[in-house]
Amino acid sequence: MSASLETYLARLYLDADARRAFAADPRGAAARAGLDETDVAALEQIDHAGLELTARSLQAKREARPRRGWLARLLARWCLR
Amino acid sequence: MLGHDRVGLGWRPELAAGILANLDRVDLVEVIADDYVGAGRRELRALRTLAIQVPLVLHGVSLGLASAAPVDGRRLDALARVVGAVEPQAWSEHLAFVRSGGLELGHLAAPPRRDATLGGLAANVARARAIVGSAPALENVATLIDPPGSDRDEPAWLADAVAATGGELLLDLHNLHANAVNFGFDAHAALARLPLARVRFVHVAGGAWIGNDGGRRRVLDDHRHDVPAPVFDLLADLAARTPNPLTVIVERDGDYPPIEHLLAELDRARSALAGGRARVAA
Repeated sequence: MSASLETYLARLYLDADARRAFAADPRGAAARAGLDETDVAALEQIDHAGLELTARSLQAKREARPRRGWLARLLARWCLR
Repeated sequence: MLGHDRVGLGWRPELAAGILANLDRVDLVEVIADDYVGAGRRELRALRTLAIQVPLVLHGVSLGLASAAPVDGRRLDALARVVGAVEPQAWSEHLAFVRSGGLELGHLAAPPRRDATLGGLAANVARARAIVGSAPALENVATLIDPPGSDRDEPAWLADAVAATGGELLLDLHNLHANAVNFGFDAHAALARLPLARVRFVHVAGGAWIGNDGGRRRVLDDHRHDVPAPVFDLLADLAARTPNPLTVIVERDGDYPPIEHLLAELDRARSALAGGRARVAA
């Protein structure tokens, strides 16, 4: 099921330990996560460098994300009064 | 060609004063819808006031529509409240998943490009249309990894996504450029395969080179740099390939230059559009 693959990808993107375990044994780690054979085979072909860059990029974007809700609204109000 | 091309800027707090001081050079603004989820009536009235002053579109970043899993109805209800109060000309979301199985990615991730995702996307967009009252334009996303589990390339995926939802494609040309560089395909050839009749909205932005995997670098779509020349070339190509009036938004999300610098980027986008239109006329 694709939702399970999405969940496993989300775990890989978020969890460095999960990525290490996966890198050591992609097939075994994916199979233990309960993915079907099609998804296990797909994950065996994964671009490991791309996986690591994606994880780092997502982390950087989470950390850099401005909590701009109140600021955006305040500025909009100030600019438009 | 019906209507006319427009070029605008992403509304950010850091740019608000500069935009309002230059409305004669900004055709429209695009506001991040999520910034106004949970806002009070006064804040929404202020945004409605802005929408009266300048054409305004809303852009969502956290619905996660391109997923085999159902979209969160509470998020759609919250978005519907913003759309109802602000009355934007249109709204958009990404062809991405942002959460799964209780895990929040906090940003956009490219989903597996396959039928299961398409089915989820179609159901999610139908639900969004029912709750919000209109369907979002769907934006292609940049990715640093070819989505595992995919059985089609990006142009095929985007065409299938538009067909499955009956919606429009918000074509982000920097995302297309970044993916072309990162995965070694020709962006112009990919552009030619897209459902361009369903494109009215366009994003352009800049990014940065990252990584050095055996000498292989990749483009990160960070919106913190100037729009690069290849993206303007794609914009001209797009304008030559479709008669649709195009609404182009320049996105900037950090390392903000003076507003005059961004206005010059808007002018460059107008030049690219005019160049593409002229190619057709010649």
